[in-house]
Amino acid sequence: MLENRKRVFWEALLLTIVVFFFGILIGVAFESTKVSEINNYYAMSEVSLMDVFALNSMLDFNSASCEVLTDSNLNFADKVYDEAVLLEKYESSGKITEEIQLAHRKYDILRTFLWINNIKTLEKCSKEYSTVVYLYEYFPEDLTQKAEQSVWSKILSDLKQEKGNQILLIPIAADSNLVSLNSLIDKFNVTDYPVVIIDEKYLVYDLSSVSDLDKYLN
Amino acid sequence: MEFITVIYLIYTFIAFYFLFLFMLIYFQNKGSFFSYPKPKKDYSLTMIIPCYNEGKTIERTIKSVLNAGYKNLKKIVVVDDCSRDNSYEIIKEFSKKYPQVIAVQTPKNTGCAAGSKNYGVKFADTELIGFSDGDSFVEKGSIGKMVGFFNDEKVGSVTSSVLVHNRNKFIEKLQSVEYKVIKFSRKLLEFVDSIYVTPGPLGIFRKSAFDEIGGFDEKNLTEDIEITWHLQAEGYKVRMSVPARSYTVAPSRIGEWIKQRNRWNMGGLQTIGKYKKIWFKKGMLGNFILPFFVFSWVIGLFGLFVFAYRIIRTIILEFLSTSYSIQTQTAIFRFSDINLTPNVLVFFGITVFVFSLWFTVIALLNMGEEKYKRESFFTVGFYMLFYLIAYPIILIISGYKFLRGYRKW
Repeated sequence: MLENRKRVFWEALLLTIVVFFFGILIGVAFESTKVSEINNYYAMSEVSLMDVFALNSMLDFNSASCEVLTDSNLNFADKVYDEAVLLEKYESSGKITEEIQLAHRKYDILRTFLWINNIKTLEKCSKEYSTVVYLYEYFPEDLTQKAEQSVWSKILSDLKQEKGNQILLIPIAADSNLVSLNSLIDKFNVTDYPVVIIDEKYLVYDLSSVSDLDKYLN
Repeated sequence: MEFITVIYLIYTFIAFYFLFLFMLIYFQNKGSFFSYPKPKKDYSLTMIIPCYNEGKTIERTIKSVLNAGYKNLKKIVVVDDCSRDNSYEIIKEFSKKYPQVIAVQTPKNTGCAAGSKNYGVKFADTELIGFSDGDSFVEKGSIGKMVGFFNDEKVGSVTSSVLVHNRNKFIEKLQSVEYKVIKFSRKLLEFVDSIYVTPGPLGIFRKSAFDEIGGFDEKNLTEDIEITWHLQAEGYKVRMSVPARSYTVAPSRIGEWIKQRNRWNMGGLQTIGKYKKIWFKKGMLGNFILPFFVFSWVIGLFGLFVFAYRIIRTIILEFLSTSYSIQTQTAIFRFSDINLTPNVLVFFGITVFVFSLWFTVIALLNMGEEKYKRESFFTVGFYMLFYLIAYPIILIISGYKFLRGYRKW
């Protein structure tokens, strides 16, 4: 008798496993579509970066102008920034797999490359814009840091909107564990996050308004 | 995968499991949902009505039992538990008019329904004994739809559909939805021998089984849960007759509602404590009912803690962000901050909600009730989105009171 009664419990368990399994599969498939979209953007950005690198190398034998190179840097930075905003939105949908997190790290490498390339460019060309590097932590330690980072993002977005091509904005997750990035960070003696590095000279740790940041810009 | 995601997925799995379990039981037994056996003989019956300060309703309760239409109803024993209102006078008046009605009074207030019920049983000498609360009304013909289940000698008690009588205030309407869902679920549990309560508004017991287990436990705050477990622990079956209906007066104020739910929960905890040694023993009682009760507590409390943690965290984060935004003269909120990118948890959440809604709608449609209007969509939606979520909070209050040794009605 008890065995007969038990059968429906097993049937329900089986049905749950099947539905749950398919749900997870659909979830993984859904996340994969987002990741492949990001990967497509990334592939195009990678090409753009290589292009900027090539331009930079051409400067050595005077085959390219500084104007073209700075424009390329700015355009590329804007493109990567827009993709970062999109990536941030997609990150909230990445619950099951860690592919979107991986995509974020790849973008951090790309943005580090851009920063390095920009430093090199400025060694050769005159300064037409200010560089604003925003270093934050992907996994903030506490709520205070999370809130600070959220407000920093808004301030820098406002700054970019206001200044347009007068600034080159590069947001990078500092805890991406990238050797190149860590070396750069060491070079600037960064002690805490979030931090905004302006023109490789000023380190701004405290939350500041757009008008306060404006004072550091050229 | 984040820890919180794992928690959400576990809860989703559990929700799916119980929804599928109930739906499978329903579809496998749909045909016999409203059926009840024809009695093989005219079982003699004594109805016992415990009463404490029920002056406003006791008259109607006695009349409903008198008019229930069961021809072999030998006595109606109305037990006054030393009420402070005019209940006993009303009962005595009835006993003068109707020879079937016997008015008795406990020597001193017992402080619980179990005490007066046990006292009333002393005046019964029939094969069956039935109970109806002093604030509940038995629908005509209901008793006759219950007694046939006693053809099976292993049946110890038979329960009925308990519904809400007063459905004017919003809180009463919500409880009406809740009682219907409980009624529906209880019948489904019958198909797997897992009825866990024979509620007070209308329940009938085999007198010999009742005597064998020593009646109601007077120390328990939910004697109707305890006796059901006790009967099953002794090998008796509990059955439910869906067409048999009893209407009860539900709390009309939040304070009364909280008090009632606290008593139910604390009584549940007392019962768990009493039967804690029967895990995976005694048939479905130890294999399903007890684990289900314990599991409900764990899931409810843990879920509430996770929910509270998330809410508090969000409030603190929003407070800090707002303060910093004001400090730096930045917009507190922008439309671009709204992220509508769905994720697998959202899909699962919507699916669970849709299945729950489906279950609730089936429960509400499976009534066969004609004299009341159907609940509005708003009431059902509010019940699902807010009323059910409030329940774990009551669990915490009950758990706290229980641990502090509070055991009053």
